[in-house]
Formats: sequence, C-alpha cells, structure tokens
Amino acid sequence: MNSRERFIATVERKPVDRPACWLGDPTPEAVPALCDYYHVDNIKELKKVCGDDFYAVEIPYKSPTCSAIFAAFDWYMNGSNVDTEHRTLTADGCFAQCEDLEDVEAVNFPWPDPELYIDPEECRRLVDEAPDDKVVMGMLWACHFQDTCAAFGMQTCLMNMVAEPEMVHYVDDHIVDFYLKALKIFLEATKGKVQAILIGDDVGSQRGLMISPALISEFVIPGAKKLIDLAHSYGVKVVYHSCGSIVEAIPLLIEAGVDVIHPIQALAAGMDPANLKDKFDGKISFCGGVDTQDLLPNGTPEQVAAKVKELRTYFPTGLIVSPSHEGLQPDVPPSNIKALFDEATKIYE
Amino acid sequence: MSKIEEVAKLVEIGKAKLVGKAVQEALDEGCDPQEILNKGMIDAMAVVGEKFKNNEIFVPEMLVAARAMKKGVEVLKPHLASGATGVKGKLIIATVAGDLHDIGKNLVAMMIESAGFEVIDLGVDVSNDKIIECYRENPDTKIIALSALLTTTMPALRDAVDALNKSDFRSNIKVMVGGAPITQEFADEIGADGYSEDAASAATLANQLIGA
Repeated sequence: MNSRERFIATVERKPVDRPACWLGDPTPEAVPALCDYYHVDNIKELKKVCGDDFYAVEIPYKSPTCSAIFAAFDWYMNGSNVDTEHRTLTADGCFAQCEDLEDVEAVNFPWPDPELYIDPEECRRLVDEAPDDKVVMGMLWACHFQDTCAAFGMQTCLMNMVAEPEMVHYVDDHIVDFYLKALKIFLEATKGKVQAILIGDDVGSQRGLMISPALISEFVIPGAKKLIDLAHSYGVKVVYHSCGSIVEAIPLLIEAGVDVIHPIQALAAGMDPANLKDKFDGKISFCGGVDTQDLLPNGTPEQVAAKVKELRTYFPTGLIVSPSHEGLQPDVPPSNIKALFDEATKIYE
Repeated sequence: MSKIEEVAKLVEIGKAKLVGKAVQEALDEGCDPQEILNKGMIDAMAVVGEKFKNNEIFVPEMLVAARAMKKGVEVLKPHLASGATGVKGKLIIATVAGDLHDIGKNLVAMMIESAGFEVIDLGVDVSNDKIIECYRENPDTKIIALSALLTTTMPALRDAVDALNKSDFRSNIKVMVGGAPITQEFADEIGADGYSEDAASAATLANQLIGA
C-alpha cells in the first residue's frame, strides 16, 4: 500500500498493511534535535525519512497585516492580534463591551475577504510540491468557535453563549462564512490533488468538555458541518481536531460527518483507547493517541513502542498513529519519535 | 423560599440582572449582610463548583454564576465591614515563566475569589522574581497558586516552587499548583503544599490550606 491507499483504508476502516502515521507539526524549537537525529537538513526531509504518510499544506494566506490564516481576524482592530506569537483567546476582543446585536453591528468589524488574500496559484504551487504518494492534507484549522471566543474575549463569549446567544451567532456566522470561502478557493484550485483537510476547535479540557454538549450542538457543530459538507463535495476527507477530553462530543462529530478524530489526548478523561474502542468502534476513525503529556517526553523508546503496539492491537485499522498533540515540544527525545515510527511502520505477520 | 435562598438560587443559575434586586430586598427585609454573602453567595458558588466538578454544568454556566455573584456583591459591599468580601485572605495566582496559557488559571482564580479570597492575578509568563516581589508588596498573602499547561514549562513550575521554598517567608504561605500535565505526585516531588485537578477543587484546596 502507498500512503494514500493506506490513509483511505484507515479512514474507511478497511484492512491495512500497517497503520498510517503522522509526525504532526513539531514546534520550531523541537525541529533542530529531530533533524540532527535523523541526519537531515530540514523538516520536509525529516518527514520523508521518518515514515510519515502525510504532507501537510498550510492554506496560504497573505493580507497586508497577516500571513497565517489562523490569525486572519484582527480582533483588537489595531493589528496586534495577527501577531501569532502573542495572540490570546482571553483578552477582551473588539466585541467585549457589546450588550446586544445592535452593539455588535455598530462595531463595524472589517471582515476579511479570503478572495483578496488567498492566491489560487499559490495553493496549486504548494500542493504540487507534495511527493506523489503522500496524503496531502490542507491545514485550514477553521477554529470558528475559538475565533469567536477571541472576538469577545473568551470568558465574555462563553457567558454570552448562555445569556446573549444571538450576538455570538452573528460573529460566528461571519467567521464560518470566511472559512467556507477560503476552503472553496483552496479546494477549487487543487481539485483532485488533496485527500484531507484538518479543521477543529478545542472544546475539551483534561477532565471533560469545556462547554456542554447542548452548546456544542448549537455553536460548534453547525459551522463544522458546513465545512465538512463542502470538503466532502470535493471528495476530501475531514480530520477534526480538538484537544482534551471530548468523549461526550464525539457522537455529535460523527453525526456531522467527521471522518477522523484528532489527536486523542491520551491522558484526558475517557480518551484511552479501550474506552474509545468500546464506545465508537466502527463508527469513526482516529488520529493520535501516543501520549505527549508524559510518555513521549519522559518515557523510554521501549515504552513508546509498547504503547504503539497496544494501540495497533485495539485498532488494527481505523487509527492513524501520531503523537497525541501535533505540536511536538522540544522535551520529546527524538529517539522516542523514532520508536513511534519504527513500531507503527512494522508490518505485523 | 427565603430571600437569601432566592439570592442563592439566582447566583447558582447565573442571573446577573436579577441578583442585585434580590440582594437589596434581602437587605430591606433586615437580613444580615454577612449571612447574605456567606449563605446566598459563597455557599451557592460552592454548589456551582460541585456541579462543575461532576460535569453537571460546564465553564459557561460557572462563569455566569460568578458574574451574578459579583453583581450581588456590588450591592452588598457598602453594607459589609471593610474587606469582608475577601475575608479569607489574599491569594496570589500566576502562570509560570515561559507559559502563555491562562484559561484554566482564570477559572481557578474565579472560583477561589468566589470562595471568599482576595485574588491577585499576575497573569501569564510570570517570572519568579515578580511572584516574590508581589508577595513582598502583600506580606499578608496566605497562598500562592501557580499553573503550567505545557510539559516544557513544568521545570519552570519546579523552579518557581523552589524559589518560594528557599524564601524567608515560606513558613508564612502555602503553595498550590495545577495545570493539565501536573499530578499530585509531581506536586509532592517539587515541594508544593497542594495540588488540585480542577477549579472547584482548587477552591476547596485553598480553604483546606488555610484551615477554613
């Protein structure tokens, strides 16, 4: 099987020669040690040699103030939120003081137009750089719930969801429209060359959902479903990311049409493979599961290999083996990453 | 339902716009302001915290409850002895150096404040020097609470607790820690006095640490 065949079989929970694997997106601080260990010059080379089945492509976004789609909205209306190093969900956004829908409209927020800032040619060029057999995954993120939180300030937004929901819907709808347009530009420009997109919103904490299933149904799922339907209309699979314990939200994501849940934060409540297998076997596929909160930074290569073996036993298919958070930190010894890939890419007899 | 029970109910379900009026009515009926605070608000927030802990309610519901309590306290404050709302003492809270995460820390601060402490929130990415300086400016502080979300900032948490453990005021304070990757074992290892795994338990822990 090549990477694409393996990925599709994994997503459809058909037999695979071995699981598909994804390195994730290591933080810049983690990259040098990994490259040294694998004797390569850069992250692209690293992904080629380590056994990664994926080739992730950031949706290219270039506005006068910002060069990353996940920071496209200038929520403080002063240019500072587009600084990816320092943006935050919790500071007051431009809608913080709004008390009703009229106030929200009066802010007159300059909603960005993706058509002005996403170049279809650049989308094609980036996707064409992918090796022929790798799974090309468009990293849209489209974190519309988190963006909405930042637009008000997280605490204010969460309270408005309960007390003044129409204000939250107004902002969220605009954000979802932005991402829908962005996704359409990307998929239209790269038709037939992209196999997956990654979208998501963090709705879990270490111990459970941050917001109730009812609020997830009202504020997170409708936008996600529109994005999923659009991706599916291009024959593209959807990997949905949420950190934390999201067991109670998975049925909602299945209903919305998600193909793969990422990243299975292994130590969060109920996110262990036995529980996920018990509750969702045959209903959805997963990506992740190799714990980054203790095992990968503190464990031995033997322990990492044993965990991958255990995951493969629970999920002979339907699991993309990957660290349980895509942003690998520099405290993860490269030997543990090698152990992850060595065990995951073994063909079991 | 007594007026104080009504205040408690409104706090619990987060009705910020109604709670002020209910507090005023309770005062007009001659209820003891301190009792309105303790039974109508602090106890109500403890119920909220317990429900949060049991996943019966979630962060938004907890936030609106805390906001309702604040509205009630605004009406009550002129009738209370000076400083009575932070009657359990001062608590300094911070996310440690190198770590920019604050959602969990903010929830902890909110629940501890609602439990009757005066919270001094130093924000995120806070150096050990700044924490110690804050204590020197507030020597009546009873607890210092520190948070780390990343495995890579757990060493910074260790350093911060270490700096406090070596300070000349260590015996005057209790140190509590938390954050997603933190465990009781790690808290014990670095010499903290307490660990809690969620915001409601943090408020309970703060009470326990000062013997309240």
